[in-house]
Amino acid sequence: MSTAGTIQASRIRKSFGPKTVLKDVDLEVASGEICCIIGPSGSGKSTLLRCINGLETVDSGVLKVNGEDFGYYETDHAYHALPPKKLAQQRTRVGMVFQQFNLFPNMTARENVMSGPVLVKRADKKESAKRAQELLTSVGLGQFGDRYPAELSGGQQQRVAIARSLAMDPDIILFDEPTSALDPEKVGEVLNVMQDLAKRGMTMVVVTHEMGFAREVSDSLIFMDDGVVVERGDAREILSNPKEPRTQAFLKQVL
Amino acid sequence: MKQATLDRSRQTVDGMDPALKPRLKRRSTFEYVAWAVSILVGAGMLYSVATNPNFKWGTVAKYFTAESILRGLMLTIFLTIASMALGTLLGLLLAIMRASSVKPIAIAAGAYITLFRGTPVLVQLIFWFNISALYPNLSIGIPFTDIGTAIDTNALMGPITAALVGLTLNEAAYMAEIVRGGFSAVGKGQIEAADSLGMSGAMKMRKVIIPQAMPSIIPATGNQVIGMFKETSLVSVLGVAELLQSAQLIYARTYETIPLLIVASLWYLVMTLVLSYPQSKLEQKYSHTSVRIPRKSKKVTLTAPEGIAR
Ligand SMILES: Nc1ncnc2c1ncn2[C@@H]1O[C@H](COP(=O)(O)OP(=O)(O)OP(=O)(O)O)[C@@H](O)[C@H]1O
Ligand SMILES: [Mg+2]
Repeated sequence: MSTAGTIQASRIRKSFGPKTVLKDVDLEVASGEICCIIGPSGSGKSTLLRCINGLETVDSGVLKVNGEDFGYYETDHAYHALPPKKLAQQRTRVGMVFQQFNLFPNMTARENVMSGPVLVKRADKKESAKRAQELLTSVGLGQFGDRYPAELSGGQQQRVAIARSLAMDPDIILFDEPTSALDPEKVGEVLNVMQDLAKRGMTMVVVTHEMGFAREVSDSLIFMDDGVVVERGDAREILSNPKEPRTQAFLKQVL
Repeated sequence: MKQATLDRSRQTVDGMDPALKPRLKRRSTFEYVAWAVSILVGAGMLYSVATNPNFKWGTVAKYFTAESILRGLMLTIFLTIASMALGTLLGLLLAIMRASSVKPIAIAAGAYITLFRGTPVLVQLIFWFNISALYPNLSIGIPFTDIGTAIDTNALMGPITAALVGLTLNEAAYMAEIVRGGFSAVGKGQIEAADSLGMSGAMKMRKVIIPQAMPSIIPATGNQVIGMFKETSLVSVLGVAELLQSAQLIYARTYETIPLLIVASLWYLVMTLVLSYPQSKLEQKYSHTSVRIPRKSKKVTLTAPEGIAR
């Protein structure tokens, strides 16, 4: 399928009560592309990401993930919400990594990684445990499978969270400020894992404040402010030569 | 080097190393007075209780292990266990219904909880006992057809059944609130993580929400058990021969009211103390961790202090 791992969003609108958080946002991500989203606090970055895997529903606009309308099916006059089972099925193809890790504290690292395949896909337990071990090893945590999240550092927890997403074999992984809750010395270990993923051709949308990561790893970059995409294009190009005054002002602050 | 000389000089002045001197707790005058008063009052009460012949301690001792009292105690224990077990299950169901995104189900559960928490248990017990006045016949069958059978409600709703129904339905409402409190202690991020993996609602409840809510639900449930043990005394009004009613039946004959009330109270006290021990253990176990206690002890690694500032 050529549409796997793609995102097309056009004129997405989303309001919380009277506050419009996304104002006609467009987003185009190709398969295997790494897209970073930057912007000031409250500009709607998280909301956009959360719409892409259905944690929020969009009010209007077209949102296609993996080539399918996400969370809805289209008829002549409306978009109808999909039944929960269908939505859950679509979600299994989109991984999400949260700022606060959100590992299940009642499960060990291995059980966390296995949770998706075993509980959702009803995969074989033994096989899933083996796969979980491989994934934990690939994020450098082969020894830590039996630990509970409370016994792991933030950086380790976030790597387990990434492994948990990977265990579902998603076509896309969304990262919402994956390193913002980490001690500075732990940021590198998580970014390295993400860089590995990028090399292996995973489609990734990353909300981040790590401009170094954006510059080195990202293909495209989006700068959002106040619910609008102000500037988009090649990551290195924007970071070194921002065209819009608002982008220039923001980059001057963070760099 | 400098430290050592300093210490030695101090030692010679005071005669005792200041670092080794004990630190004494301050006791206020109020504390001494409080001790004196409470010892006096306590001794006075004990003396009066022990010497007042109207307490009839001999009678208390005689009936403490009387067969009808012990049978009453057994029934009290049975009612406590049965109504707590059923009430907890129903309460869990109500809490899940209450959290449902299907509005009518959530509203129905909310209405149930409001109704059963908003009226006295005693009234509810008497109500269930007299339900046959409302529905003389209970018919089981398919609505709007004549298939089915009718049962005489009066025969079905004996005192013990009414007691069990009343206590269970009431307890369910309280347990529902406890479970709901436990649910709301589970972070939003946990639910989002489960959602993003594509977990179904039931799976999310079973594997993510309920396990994490347990630490706050279990100690609260223990408290309910202790409360329920004493609450069962209310069903004596229905003529159920539980602990209190068994005592009442005896003193109705012998007029030894106070001694028999003491017998019942002592049993309630003993059972409460017996239940308090596991309860305090449960509370300890679940008080500090909001999550399950890891099986293995935490391995602490000390990092060099000269890390980068946060
Ligand atoms: N569930 C919600 N209900 C009401 N308002 C919300 C909700 N979620 C987000 N908002 C509002 O939407 C706006 C955008 O929020 P969003 O979290 O998308 O910003 P962000 O760009 O991710 O910011 P940050 O960098 O601080 O994470 C904010 O003003 C926020 O207060
Ligand atoms: Mg955000």
